[in-house]
Amino acid sequence: MKKLQFILALLLVGGSLFAQRKTTTSATVSFDATTSLDALPKAENKTVIGAIDTKTGSIQFEANVRNFTFKNPTMQDHFNGERWMHSEQHPKFTFKGNIVDLSTVDFSKDGTYKTEAEGILTVKGKESKLRVPGTVVVKNGAVSLSSEFTINLSDFGITGVPIDAGKVSKKPKITVSADFK
Amino acid sequence: MTKRRKPWLRTLLAIILIMVVAGAIVYWYVATEKFSDTKDRKAVFTVSALDFIREFQQDEKKANDKYVNKIVTVNGRVSEIEAVDTTVNIKFVDPNSSSYAIFRFQEQHIAETKNLQVGDSVSIKGSCSGSIYSEILDAYSIDFKRCTLNN
Repeated sequence: MKKLQFILALLLVGGSLFAQRKTTTSATVSFDATTSLDALPKAENKTVIGAIDTKTGSIQFEANVRNFTFKNPTMQDHFNGERWMHSEQHPKFTFKGNIVDLSTVDFSKDGTYKTEAEGILTVKGKESKLRVPGTVVVKNGAVSLSSEFTINLSDFGITGVPIDAGKVSKKPKITVSADFK
Repeated sequence: MTKRRKPWLRTLLAIILIMVVAGAIVYWYVATEKFSDTKDRKAVFTVSALDFIREFQQDEKKANDKYVNKIVTVNGRVSEIEAVDTTVNIKFVDPNSSSYAIFRFQEQHIAETKNLQVGDSVSIKGSCSGSIYSEILDAYSIDFKRCTLNN
Protein backbone atom coordinates (compact mmCIF):
# COMPACT_ATOMS: atom_id res chain seq x y z
CA MET A 1 0.00 0.00 0.00
CA LYS A 2 2.80 2.40 0.97
CA LYS A 3 4.57 1.56 -2.28
CA LEU A 4 1.42 2.46 -4.24
CA GLN A 5 1.11 5.77 -2.38
CA PHE A 6 4.76 6.54 -3.12
CA ILE A 7 4.30 5.80 -6.83
CA LEU A 8 1.16 7.99 -6.97
CA ALA A 9 2.97 10.86 -5.21
CA LEU A 10 5.87 10.50 -7.63
CA LEU A 11 3.50 10.60 -10.59
CA LEU A 12 1.80 13.74 -9.25
CA VAL A 13 5.07 15.59 -8.68
CA GLY A 14 6.51 14.36 -11.97
CA GLY A 15 3.26 15.25 -13.72
CA SER A 16 3.34 18.86 -12.57
CA LEU A 17 7.02 19.24 -13.38
CA PHE A 18 6.77 17.85 -16.87
CA ALA A 19 3.21 18.82 -17.81
CA GLN A 20 3.29 20.55 -21.18
CA ARG A 21 1.03 23.41 -20.06
CA LYS A 22 2.42 25.43 -17.20
CA THR A 23 0.66 28.34 -15.53
CA THR A 24 1.12 31.08 -12.95
CA THR A 25 -1.13 33.59 -11.22
CA SER A 26 1.77 35.73 -10.05
CA ALA A 27 3.49 36.95 -13.21
CA THR A 28 4.67 40.56 -13.26
CA VAL A 29 3.88 43.12 -15.94
CA SER A 30 5.12 46.67 -15.57
CA PHE A 31 4.99 49.64 -17.85
CA ASP A 32 7.02 52.81 -17.87
CA ALA A 33 5.57 55.81 -19.72
CA THR A 34 7.71 58.37 -17.93
CA THR A 35 9.32 61.24 -19.80
CA SER A 36 11.78 63.98 -18.89
CA LEU A 37 8.74 66.11 -18.01
CA ASP A 38 6.94 63.61 -15.77
CA ALA A 39 8.28 60.75 -13.65
CA LEU A 40 4.87 59.56 -12.42
CA PRO A 41 3.27 57.49 -15.21
CA LYS A 42 4.63 54.06 -14.37
CA ALA A 43 3.03 51.07 -12.67
CA GLU A 44 3.25 47.35 -12.11
CA ASN A 45 0.91 44.41 -11.65
CA LYS A 46 2.25 41.34 -9.83
CA THR A 47 -0.88 39.16 -9.99
CA VAL A 48 -0.92 38.55 -13.75
CA ILE A 49 -2.16 35.15 -14.98
CA GLY A 50 0.08 33.41 -17.50
CA ALA A 51 0.40 30.11 -19.34
CA ILE A 52 3.00 28.51 -21.58
CA ASP A 53 2.61 25.29 -23.54
CA THR A 54 6.00 23.65 -23.89
CA LYS A 55 4.79 21.39 -26.72
CA THR A 56 3.11 23.96 -28.97
CA GLY A 57 4.96 27.09 -27.79
CA SER A 58 1.73 28.99 -27.14
CA ILE A 59 1.95 31.81 -24.61
CA GLN A 60 -0.94 33.63 -22.92
CA PHE A 61 -1.24 36.40 -20.36
CA GLU A 62 -4.24 38.07 -18.67
CA ALA A 63 -3.88 41.10 -16.40
CA ASN A 64 -6.52 42.81 -14.27
CA VAL A 65 -6.16 46.47 -15.36
CA ARG A 66 -7.41 47.69 -11.96
CA ASN A 67 -4.61 45.86 -10.17
CA PHE A 68 -1.82 47.97 -11.69
CA THR A 69 -0.31 49.85 -8.78
CA PHE A 70 1.06 53.35 -9.08
CA LYS A 71 2.93 55.23 -6.39
CA ASN A 72 0.60 58.16 -6.99
CA PRO A 73 -3.18 57.84 -6.29
CA THR A 74 -4.25 60.55 -8.77
CA MET A 75 -2.23 58.93 -11.54
CA GLN A 76 -3.85 55.56 -10.75
CA ASP A 77 -7.35 57.12 -10.90
CA HIS A 78 -6.57 58.74 -14.27
CA PHE A 79 -5.16 55.46 -15.63
CA ASN A 80 -8.38 53.61 -14.81
CA GLY A 81 -10.63 56.43 -15.97
CA GLU A 82 -12.71 56.62 -19.13
CA ARG A 83 -10.19 58.73 -21.08
CA TRP A 84 -7.32 56.27 -20.55
CA MET A 85 -7.91 52.54 -19.89
CA HIS A 86 -11.62 52.70 -19.02
CA SER A 87 -11.07 49.67 -16.78
CA GLU A 88 -14.72 49.41 -15.78
CA GLN A 89 -15.59 48.54 -19.37
CA HIS A 90 -12.30 46.85 -20.32
CA PRO A 91 -11.11 45.15 -17.10
CA LYS A 92 -8.29 43.09 -18.58
CA PHE A 93 -5.29 43.23 -20.88
CA THR A 94 -4.63 40.01 -22.75
CA PHE A 95 -1.83 38.59 -24.86
CA LYS A 96 -2.27 35.45 -26.96
CA GLY A 97 0.65 34.28 -29.03
CA ASN A 98 3.30 31.74 -29.84
CA ILE A 99 7.04 31.33 -29.76
CA VAL A 100 7.94 32.13 -33.38
CA ASP A 101 10.53 29.38 -33.80
CA LEU A 102 10.03 26.60 -31.26
CA SER A 103 13.39 25.05 -32.18
CA THR A 104 15.11 28.00 -30.39
CA VAL A 105 14.01 26.59 -27.01
CA ASP A 106 14.70 23.09 -25.67
CA PHE A 107 12.23 22.66 -22.81
CA SER A 108 13.76 19.26 -21.97
CA LYS A 109 17.20 20.68 -21.25
CA ASP A 110 18.31 23.24 -18.65
CA GLY A 111 19.44 26.46 -20.26
CA THR A 112 18.80 30.09 -21.13
CA TYR A 113 17.24 30.56 -24.54
CA LYS A 114 16.85 33.82 -26.47
CA THR A 115 13.73 33.68 -28.58
CA GLU A 116 10.86 35.70 -30.05
CA ALA A 117 7.10 35.56 -29.56
CA GLU A 118 4.40 36.82 -31.86
CA GLY A 119 0.79 37.39 -30.95
CA ILE A 120 -2.14 39.68 -30.33
CA LEU A 121 -2.12 42.18 -27.48
CA THR A 122 -5.54 43.49 -26.50
CA VAL A 123 -5.72 46.76 -24.59
CA LYS A 124 -8.92 48.72 -24.05
CA GLY A 125 -10.74 46.31 -26.35
CA LYS A 126 -8.39 47.04 -29.29
CA GLU A 127 -6.13 44.37 -30.75
CA SER A 128 -2.62 44.88 -32.09
CA LYS A 129 -0.18 42.35 -33.49
CA LEU A 130 3.19 42.26 -31.74
CA ARG A 131 6.50 40.52 -32.29
CA VAL A 132 8.69 40.76 -29.20
CA PRO A 133 12.03 39.40 -28.00
CA GLY A 134 12.13 37.20 -24.92
CA THR A 135 14.27 34.94 -22.79
CA VAL A 136 13.15 31.51 -21.62
CA VAL A 137 15.00 29.86 -18.76
CA VAL A 138 14.58 26.12 -18.15
CA LYS A 139 15.87 24.79 -14.84
CA ASN A 140 15.05 21.40 -13.32
CA GLY A 141 11.83 21.20 -15.32
CA ALA A 142 10.68 24.68 -14.22
CA VAL A 143 10.19 27.34 -16.90
CA SER A 144 10.49 31.09 -16.52
CA LEU A 145 10.12 33.79 -19.14
CA SER A 146 11.05 37.45 -19.41
CA SER A 147 10.57 40.07 -22.07
CA GLU A 148 11.03 43.78 -22.60
CA PHE A 149 9.49 45.76 -25.45
CA THR A 150 7.65 48.96 -26.32
CA ILE A 151 4.13 49.48 -27.59
CA ASN A 152 2.56 52.37 -29.49
CA LEU A 153 -0.31 53.82 -27.45
CA SER A 154 -1.92 55.05 -30.67
CA ASP A 155 -2.29 51.40 -31.84
CA PHE A 156 -4.84 51.02 -29.05
CA GLY A 157 -6.62 54.32 -29.69
CA ILE A 158 -5.00 55.93 -26.63
CA THR A 159 -4.34 59.60 -27.32
CA GLY A 160 -4.61 62.83 -25.36
CA VAL A 161 -3.11 66.16 -24.40
CA PRO A 162 -0.60 64.72 -21.83
CA ILE A 163 0.85 62.52 -24.61
CA ASP A 164 1.03 65.41 -27.10
CA ALA A 165 2.56 67.61 -24.39
CA GLY A 166 5.30 65.04 -23.74
CA LYS A 167 4.18 64.16 -20.19
CA VAL A 168 3.27 60.57 -21.09
CA SER A 169 5.47 58.60 -23.46
CA LYS A 170 3.90 57.66 -26.81
CA LYS A 171 5.85 54.39 -26.61
CA PRO A 172 5.85 53.05 -23.04
CA LYS A 173 8.30 50.31 -22.13
CA ILE A 174 6.64 47.05 -21.09
CA THR A 175 8.45 44.49 -18.93
CA VAL A 176 7.11 40.97 -18.39
CA SER A 177 8.42 38.21 -16.14
CA ALA A 178 6.82 34.93 -15.17
CA ASP A 179 7.80 31.78 -13.27
CA PHE A 180 5.54 28.98 -14.49
CA LYS A 181 4.75 25.88 -12.46
CA MET B 1 8.32 112.92 -13.76
CA THR B 2 7.61 109.31 -12.81
CA LYS B 3 5.97 106.98 -15.27
CA ARG B 4 2.77 105.42 -13.80
CA ARG B 5 1.94 101.83 -14.57
CA LYS B 6 -1.45 101.16 -16.06
CA PRO B 7 -3.82 99.67 -13.39
CA TRP B 8 -5.11 96.94 -15.75
CA LEU B 9 -1.56 95.72 -16.35
CA ARG B 10 -0.98 95.46 -12.62
CA THR B 11 -4.21 93.40 -12.23
CA LEU B 12 -3.24 91.12 -15.13
CA LEU B 13 0.21 90.48 -13.65
CA ALA B 14 -1.35 89.71 -10.25
CA ILE B 15 -3.78 87.21 -11.84
CA ILE B 16 -0.96 85.49 -13.75
CA LEU B 17 1.14 85.29 -10.57
CA ILE B 18 -1.76 83.79 -8.60
CA MET B 19 -2.38 81.24 -11.37
CA VAL B 20 1.29 80.22 -11.49
CA VAL B 21 1.47 79.82 -7.69
CA ALA B 22 -1.85 77.87 -7.61
CA GLY B 23 -0.63 75.62 -10.46
CA ALA B 24 2.65 74.97 -8.64
CA ILE B 25 0.78 74.06 -5.43
CA VAL B 26 -1.55 71.65 -7.29
CA TYR B 27 1.40 70.08 -9.13
CA TRP B 28 3.38 69.71 -5.91
CA TYR B 29 0.34 68.13 -4.18
CA VAL B 30 -0.27 65.61 -7.00
CA ALA B 31 3.43 64.81 -7.47
CA THR B 32 4.05 64.09 -3.79
CA GLU B 33 0.67 62.47 -2.99
CA LYS B 34 0.95 58.90 -1.68
CA PHE B 35 -1.42 56.09 -0.73
CA SER B 36 -2.15 55.91 2.97
CA ASP B 37 -1.07 52.88 4.97
CA THR B 38 -3.81 50.23 4.67
CA LYS B 39 -3.17 49.32 8.31
CA ASP B 40 -4.63 52.72 9.26
CA ARG B 41 -7.69 52.34 7.03
CA LYS B 42 -11.01 51.02 8.25
CA ALA B 43 -12.44 48.15 6.22
CA VAL B 44 -15.75 48.89 4.51
CA PHE B 45 -16.58 45.17 4.36
CA THR B 46 -15.41 42.13 6.33
CA VAL B 47 -16.06 38.82 4.59
CA SER B 48 -15.13 35.15 4.66
CA ALA B 49 -12.99 34.09 1.70
CA LEU B 50 -15.25 31.41 0.23
CA ASP B 51 -18.46 33.47 0.57
CA PHE B 52 -16.64 36.40 -1.01
CA ILE B 53 -15.40 34.37 -4.01
CA ARG B 54 -18.89 32.89 -4.50
CA GLU B 55 -20.42 36.37 -4.60
CA PHE B 56 -18.35 37.03 -7.75
CA GLN B 57 -19.29 33.68 -9.25
CA GLN B 58 -22.99 34.32 -8.69
CA ASP B 59 -23.12 37.88 -10.05
CA GLU B 60 -19.77 39.30 -11.17
CA LYS B 61 -21.07 42.78 -12.05
CA LYS B 62 -22.94 43.20 -8.78
CA ALA B 63 -19.90 42.06 -6.78
CA ASN B 64 -17.56 44.39 -8.70
CA ASP B 65 -19.93 47.34 -8.17
CA LYS B 66 -19.94 46.52 -4.46
CA TYR B 67 -16.24 45.92 -3.80
CA VAL B 68 -14.01 47.67 -6.39
CA ASN B 69 -11.73 50.29 -4.82
CA LYS B 70 -13.08 49.50 -1.35
CA ILE B 71 -10.93 48.43 1.60
CA VAL B 72 -12.04 44.87 2.40
CA THR B 73 -10.99 42.47 5.13
CA VAL B 74 -11.04 38.85 3.97
CA ASN B 75 -10.80 36.00 6.50
CA GLY B 76 -9.77 32.57 5.33
CA ARG B 77 -7.29 29.73 5.23
CA VAL B 78 -4.18 30.23 3.07
CA SER B 79 -4.45 27.92 0.04
CA GLU B 80 -1.31 28.89 -1.84
CA ILE B 81 1.75 31.06 -1.40
CA GLU B 82 3.16 32.08 -4.77
CA ALA B 83 6.64 33.54 -5.21
CA VAL B 84 7.09 36.88 -7.01
CA ASP B 85 10.68 38.12 -7.26
CA THR B 86 11.91 37.90 -3.67
CA THR B 87 8.41 38.26 -2.19
CA VAL B 88 5.13 36.29 -2.26
CA ASN B 89 1.42 36.64 -3.05
CA ILE B 90 -1.13 34.97 -0.78
CA LYS B 91 -4.14 33.12 -2.23
CA PHE B 92 -7.48 31.84 -0.98
CA VAL B 93 -8.83 29.30 -3.49
CA ASP B 94 -12.35 27.90 -3.75
CA PRO B 95 -11.65 24.16 -4.24
CA ASN B 96 -14.96 23.59 -6.04
CA SER B 97 -14.42 26.12 -8.82
CA SER B 98 -10.68 26.96 -8.65
CA SER B 99 -11.69 30.65 -8.49
CA TYR B 100 -9.51 32.56 -6.09
CA ALA B 101 -8.72 35.80 -4.29
CA ILE B 102 -5.07 36.90 -4.49
CA PHE B 103 -3.37 39.45 -2.27
CA ARG B 104 -0.39 41.64 -3.12
CA PHE B 105 1.02 43.22 0.04
CA GLN B 106 1.83 46.90 0.50
CA GLU B 107 5.57 47.62 0.35
CA GLN B 108 5.92 48.28 4.10
CA HIS B 109 3.95 45.12 4.97
CA ILE B 110 5.62 42.57 2.67
CA ALA B 111 7.64 41.19 5.61
CA GLU B 112 4.36 40.10 7.27
CA THR B 113 4.05 37.28 4.71
CA LYS B 114 7.41 35.71 5.61
CA ASN B 115 6.14 33.31 8.26
CA LEU B 116 2.83 32.43 6.61
CA GLN B 117 2.22 28.83 5.63
CA VAL B 118 -0.40 27.03 3.60
CA GLY B 119 -3.30 26.14 5.91
CA ASP B 120 -2.85 29.14 8.23
CA SER B 121 -6.04 30.99 9.18
CA VAL B 122 -5.45 34.65 8.44
CA SER B 123 -7.25 37.95 8.11
CA ILE B 124 -6.03 40.14 5.25
CA LYS B 125 -7.06 43.74 4.62
CA GLY B 126 -6.51 45.38 1.25
CA SER B 127 -7.86 47.43 -1.62
CA CYS B 128 -10.07 45.30 -3.86
CA SER B 129 -9.33 45.58 -7.60
CA GLY B 130 -12.33 43.47 -8.56
CA SER B 131 -12.40 40.36 -10.69
CA ILE B 132 -11.52 39.18 -14.15
CA TYR B 133 -12.71 35.93 -15.66
CA SER B 134 -9.63 34.02 -16.74
CA GLU B 135 -9.93 32.06 -19.99
CA ILE B 136 -6.57 30.49 -19.15
CA LEU B 137 -7.76 29.00 -15.86
CA ASP B 138 -11.51 28.89 -16.53
CA ALA B 139 -12.00 30.59 -13.16
CA TYR B 140 -12.47 34.00 -11.57
CA SER B 141 -9.46 35.87 -10.22
CA ILE B 142 -10.23 38.54 -7.63
CA ASP B 143 -7.23 40.77 -7.10
CA PHE B 144 -6.16 42.84 -4.12
CA LYS B 145 -3.43 45.45 -3.83
CA ARG B 146 -1.81 47.33 -0.91
CA CYS B 147 -2.60 44.54 1.56
CA THR B 148 -1.66 44.01 5.18
CA LEU B 149 -2.30 41.34 7.79
CA ASN B 150 -4.92 42.28 10.35
CA ASN B 151 -3.67 42.21 13.91
